[in-house]
Amino acid sequence: MQVELQLFATLRKYAPDQPLDKGLVMNVEPPLTVSILLEKAGVPLDKVKIIMVNNRHAGFDQELAAGDRVAAFPPVAGG
Amino acid sequence: MTERYARQLNLPHWTPETQQHLAAARVLVVGAGGLGSAVLPYLVAAGIGLTGIVEDDRVDLTNLQRQVLYDTQDIGVPKAEAASRRLAALNPDVEIRSHRTRLEPGNAAAILAGYDLVVDCTDNSAARELLNRTCLNLEKPWIHAAVSEYFGQVTTLLPGGPCWQCLSGTGAPADPPPAGILGPVAGLIGSVQATEALKQLTGTGRLLVERLLVWDALLPGWAEFSYRRNPDCWACGRG
Ligand SMILES: [Zn+2]
Repeated sequence: MQVELQLFATLRKYAPDQPLDKGLVMNVEPPLTVSILLEKAGVPLDKVKIIMVNNRHAGFDQELAAGDRVAAFPPVAGG
Repeated sequence: MTERYARQLNLPHWTPETQQHLAAARVLVVGAGGLGSAVLPYLVAAGIGLTGIVEDDRVDLTNLQRQVLYDTQDIGVPKAEAASRRLAALNPDVEIRSHRTRLEPGNAAAILAGYDLVVDCTDNSAARELLNRTCLNLEKPWIHAAVSEYFGQVTTLLPGGPCWQCLSGTGAPADPPPAGILGPVAGLIGSVQATEALKQLTGTGRLLVERLLVWDALLPGWAEFSYRRNPDCWACGRG
């Protein structure tokens, strides 16, 4: 099934092919969770602070369905 | 008094009463670095009656690339003092109060109690955890922002709504070491915070509540993500 992965801020380096205006389209077989998707994309889980699935807050264990859009953010701490 | 604010008194929905609301408002800005350099002058210029600054640092040469509130001659001077001087010159009709300290568990409640709204211009997650806890306890609205490299994020947190910990989760990675930051990215995100503060105080428009607004300067582009209160949140949840 197809899901979309959008990496933000310093996580963008793990998806250099991510289109500028949308997520990286990934083909992954179910069952699929956020953490499995991130691992397949080569994103170290310990670099991820906030996860959104379809624009809503989610955790690493959330199961994904076809068409889901996942966004991951690193810690952004500066001021 | 009226002439100074003429251009905002011309705004739709902005009346002399709106301006009086601002004159009676008390806003605390925690941190006077890159974000604070944008937030503070805009709030003071708009006529906020009392603006508090929490900052214990001194101006350093490496600050000046983004902390445009300060001059080269301020190097070595406490930021709270240099900022107060600059802001008083910008608008002598309002009060500026400097708190030359770090926000700590022992002083946070006492400092925040004197203000209606808090603006998060801090530079670390430990300070934000403390701000979150204190704002929850005192039921204070606050405006969170953070910046790094070419990126920034901002959201408005109101009593009863999701808290910062609902958004950030727990067991998350520690802050990375201080990264580079493009100066105007801090100015841009700080300007959004100041806008949210003025809207919150005057009841203008809709706020960034349950919405995280994210800026990526490299694209460039904005994205928006909604989030909800987490019933299991250790800071505000029931569990
Ligand atoms: Zn919470």
